[in-house]
Amino acid sequence: MGIFLKEINLKGKTALITGATKGLGRGTAQAIAEAGGNIIAIGRNQSELNSLAKVIKKLKVEYTSFNCDVNDYNRMKDFITKLKKLDILVNNAGTNIPESFLNVKKSSMEKILNVNTKAVFNVAQLCANQIIKLKKKQGSIINISSIFGLVAGQKRTVYSMTKFGVEGLTKGMALDLARYNIRVNSVCPNIVLTPRTKKYFADKKYNKYIKENTPINKVVTISDVATSVTFLASEAASMITGTSITIDGGWTSK
Amino acid sequence: MFKKINLKGKTALVTGAGKGLGKACAIALAEAGAKVIILSRTKSDLDKVNKIIKKTKGSSQSFVCDVTEPEEFKKVLKKISQLDILVNNAGNNRPEHFTKVKQESMEYLTDLNMKAAFNVAQQSSKKMVKAKNRKKIGGSIIHMSSQLGKVGCEGRNVYNMNKFGVEGLARGMAVELAPYNIRVNTVCPTFVETPMVKKFFKNKKFKNKMLKNIPLGRVAKESDVATAVAFLAAESSEMITGTSLVVDGGWTAQ
Repeated sequence: MGIFLKEINLKGKTALITGATKGLGRGTAQAIAEAGGNIIAIGRNQSELNSLAKVIKKLKVEYTSFNCDVNDYNRMKDFITKLKKLDILVNNAGTNIPESFLNVKKSSMEKILNVNTKAVFNVAQLCANQIIKLKKKQGSIINISSIFGLVAGQKRTVYSMTKFGVEGLTKGMALDLARYNIRVNSVCPNIVLTPRTKKYFADKKYNKYIKENTPINKVVTISDVATSVTFLASEAASMITGTSITIDGGWTSK
Repeated sequence: MFKKINLKGKTALVTGAGKGLGKACAIALAEAGAKVIILSRTKSDLDKVNKIIKKTKGSSQSFVCDVTEPEEFKKVLKKISQLDILVNNAGNNRPEHFTKVKQESMEYLTDLNMKAAFNVAQQSSKKMVKAKNRKKIGGSIIHMSSQLGKVGCEGRNVYNMNKFGVEGLARGMAVELAPYNIRVNTVCPTFVETPMVKKFFKNKKFKNKMLKNIPLGRVAKESDVATAVAFLAAESSEMITGTSLVVDGGWTAQ
């Protein structure tokens, strides 16, 4: 701890991460553990939850996992309300099915909405209540949003609808939870190279679209996003609430 | 996965570094390992900051300089060999109701908060792009903006005009400097415990009214803002450009 430089240190803190088995969720779990935080990983793939255990335990922090679909409200509630330790939520589980507006299937729309909006709301509410119940003096909730929570993108109408919604939720939660000193923020990354987005990058046309829209000539990495999330989770960001960190190489500055 | 705030080998220039936020930023950047060039109009203030940085085993060099004099600033740039980070911080405020703003105040504030900010940023950028390895090592420019660069506030119309302007400048610069891998962002703090704000807060009615607007119920500390600046200066944020880091306890979320 310096005079004016606060350390990003999560020792003794416990973070629940949804969608923790792959991509951003997995990277964030790792980054938080590197900063000293204990991990509660939620995911649907047992073998990946097990392989994450190995990575996290090497960092000498506690690891708990729960194999559950975030849409399963009752099981999530049962699990979260029994937690003895909880300081941080990384509300990461999300999905996307790119379709142009006129051709969006009702089933796709409902699936994306259920995961990206309803489950995000429910998990956030359950965790906020639990953090308050545990009488924590501070808490931090980070919703994984997107640049498409700030601007539109091709074939992203439903995704934008859900992520703009998450931006609104973030601000509303920040106000309601400020009295408990629970901070609520979002991170808005550009399209990150993850297992889920690999297919977008493989599409030459889409790849070009990403490149042309990103002034900094690089792809956002999982580590870029995980670092910002870890910063927001820590007391180094103790006056940051109700806002977003945009990690987009300048996409939305144009 | 997690990228620590580490500025070893970097040189950072901070304007308005004699007092308040500038001083805090200079010390924080030095704590993160940067060599810091500090500018202020007051030599005795610079001496004090140099002393603190020396105590923490940091490295600094100071220049007496009025940033509203472009020639003075140019001379300083000629005397330094390397520049990787600019904290464009020098600024001031004189709260007056819109109908009563004196012409002289408007010009003084606009010359300092906008014209000088532009000139310092432009000259520093020219120096930064000259480095042959710039694309590889990157650069970072952080404008000290304000929550009042995002929303209006009573008696702050000129300051609003200036800081909204800085927000625009940052986005334009981000797009144009991206090809050089120089990132440009702003930090938007709420009221911070600085000498400038202490003066405003002598008016208790004003202080209480302002505190009511901060959902977290407290003003920011200088370290909150300085840490955010250090985060944006470092490679921890290497894909963050053309955006703002809002450190306002929720003020602008409402």
